[in-house]
Amino acid sequence: MDVNLQPIIDSWPFLAKALGTTLYVSVASMVLGFMIGVAVGVLRTYGGRVLYVLLGFYVDTMRAIPLLVVLVWTFFAFPLLIGRSIDAVTAGIAGLGIHLGAYVAETIRAGLTSVRRNQMQAALALGMSRFQAIRTIILPQALVRMLPALGSLLVIAIKDSAIASVIAVPELLRQTQIVAGKTFRPFELYTAAMLVYFLLCYPVARAVDRLYRRVAHLGSS
Amino acid sequence: MNKADPILTFEAVHKRYGSVMALDGVNLSIRRGEVVCLIGPSGSGKSTLLRCANALDVLDSGRIVFEGNEVRSSEATVRHVRRRMGMVFQNFELFPHLTVLRNVTIGPTTVLGMRRAAAEGRAMALLSKVGLSEKAAVYPSALSGGQQQRVAIARALAMEPALMLFDEPTSALDPETIGEVLSVMKVLADEGMTMLVVTHEMDFARRVADHVAVFDKGRVIEEGSPKEVFENAMVPRTRDFLSHLGWHGETTIPTAASTREVS
Amino acid sequence: MNFQWSIVWESLPRLLDGAWMTVWLTFATMTLAIPGGLVLALMRLSPVTLISASATAFVEFFRATPLILQIYWIYYVLPAYFDVQLSQLGTALAGLACNIAAFNSETFRSGIVSIRRGQWNAGLALGMAPARVFVSIILPQATMRVLPALASTWVSLFKDTSLVSIISVAELSYVSLQIRAETYRILEVLTAMAALYWLMGYPQAKLVDWVHRRFKVAE
Ligand SMILES: Nc1ncnc2c1ncn2[C@@H]1O[C@H](COP(=O)(O)OP(=O)(O)OP(=O)(O)O)[C@@H](O)[C@H]1O
Ligand SMILES: [Mg+2]
Repeated sequence: MDVNLQPIIDSWPFLAKALGTTLYVSVASMVLGFMIGVAVGVLRTYGGRVLYVLLGFYVDTMRAIPLLVVLVWTFFAFPLLIGRSIDAVTAGIAGLGIHLGAYVAETIRAGLTSVRRNQMQAALALGMSRFQAIRTIILPQALVRMLPALGSLLVIAIKDSAIASVIAVPELLRQTQIVAGKTFRPFELYTAAMLVYFLLCYPVARAVDRLYRRVAHLGSS
Repeated sequence: MNKADPILTFEAVHKRYGSVMALDGVNLSIRRGEVVCLIGPSGSGKSTLLRCANALDVLDSGRIVFEGNEVRSSEATVRHVRRRMGMVFQNFELFPHLTVLRNVTIGPTTVLGMRRAAAEGRAMALLSKVGLSEKAAVYPSALSGGQQQRVAIARALAMEPALMLFDEPTSALDPETIGEVLSVMKVLADEGMTMLVVTHEMDFARRVADHVAVFDKGRVIEEGSPKEVFENAMVPRTRDFLSHLGWHGETTIPTAASTREVS
Repeated sequence: MNFQWSIVWESLPRLLDGAWMTVWLTFATMTLAIPGGLVLALMRLSPVTLISASATAFVEFFRATPLILQIYWIYYVLPAYFDVQLSQLGTALAGLACNIAAFNSETFRSGIVSIRRGQWNAGLALGMAPARVFVSIILPQATMRVLPALASTWVSLFKDTSLVSIISVAELSYVSLQIRAETYRILEVLTAMAALYWLMGYPQAKLVDWVHRRFKVAE
């Protein structure tokens, strides 16, 4: 078996740019998912029965439908509904973020409900409003407790960004396919892409674990 | 302001949890500058009473009046009442994600809208009052129980409350740290702070309280000066409870009469 | 806009065939990935460094790279360079099973190590043989702890089967995308696909919640 790294070296700038897109799409979708997830998680926990059920429907729907389906629907079907096209990167970030948001929401909700009830009472007893108490006392503790889970969601965001290749987002996997097709060297290219993803995801997972060990006491009331 | 004014009154307060009558017609009043100790067996409703006073729980019927306002009358009075009442919990309930200093300043900055610097000045003064100024920068997890409880007291005092509520502030502590918390409370009492204290520390109640109320099954069964309650309990249930705690009121045991003459 | 929903009814038999393939893939993969995960977990607990290290490498690798890329890799690289010829379905099963086995092994491993040493000792102190202790004391407790995580993995797997559409395995996504290309009824067909996934996935998500509540471990 001969290994030829020439195609990788030749298309290096093209692939580096693709890696940049992968990072951009993963981080942007994590940010979007985080914002959706915090809002939905807090509203489901403290917003009363109606919001609990309504937002629960969103969460469970995203848990039921594959990401590929969400992406394909957002990119191909949704534009027909609104009558204008969306570029692939935007559709990719939106689809990934909305899908991820449901998982973030469940994580946040678990974190919020695990904070002792008396912490809320202590905050209210100081004269804080419920909103102030959630924002300054309960949510920060929930985030610390859920740091490992949120970290795995970040890893999932990076891995899932590869699925955006099916709607032609020019991220690492998509561009790897293009180069592999042109040069007929799938082994070198897919293996290299695999290594890059590993080098991206594995340290993130380890770093989150280490960070968590350092800050765990901040979340234990 | 008349010192004899009641600052907090409970009028026929009822509260039930499902089939449990937690408060069954409580009448009690606390005057400005007074230290009232609330004693009574576990499950008799003492914590519930304190939570209702601070509007952390809703009443079923009756009234609680604080500084002339009915506690539950509107969202605005609820916030006002909570600002003016400090509360200290059995399990401290410090905020674990904040430093000791920030635990003490967070009330003034978020609730009173005080500037961070001014709040820190006030907090440092209070921390040195409870003897913990050198711990300002650490997180609660690095403190002993007694230290945490003293921070919790400083946190409540930072709001400059008119009344302090204490819910068994020493029951979660190791015996050797109980004293440091009680002496901080004693200093507060000597300074004239109005305090409502739920406690099982009979010695503290006897020495510091102006008034003692005995609670049982959701109602006040006996009240009076510490001397009246501890030495001359009229209600048999009170005597049972006191002796259960290992307190043998001087009049309940015949041989104790001589002890009193000696002391 | 004019939509022609009749296309959905006309294509329903094909869509249902695809849905059947999705379900089949889910069951078949899990059937392979449970023993696979158990073997990997036991290998990782092995005192022989070579065994535990290679199992760890396998697991970490499959957990830290995208499944969609793993499928591509098996599809393009194995036949061209290692002379292993798998059918598309074979490739799909191999990729999914390796990936899910890696996740299962983490589940099993944490299930086994979470049982306190005291439980072993308590069993041994009663005079039980170690194998007996494992079967009657450790295994039932570990199962309780493992079931919720396995249930969550099950639903992820159900969703992940959609990824093998990229190598033309005729499951629900692939079939839907084909019909879309043939008919150009994009919105109708893609919405029908999403609805079918929802109809299958929603009850599973609810079932997972039930399993989590039912087997919640009180620490
Ligand atoms: N949130 C609640 N839900 C249901 N029942 C409650 C709740 N809080 C208190 N109770 C019940 O109300 C009664 C009074 O409880 P409370 O905590 O006020 O007693 P306590 O006098 O403070 O006891 P302790 O000395 O154990 O702290 C008890 O029977 C308790 O079980
Ligand atoms: Mg109590």
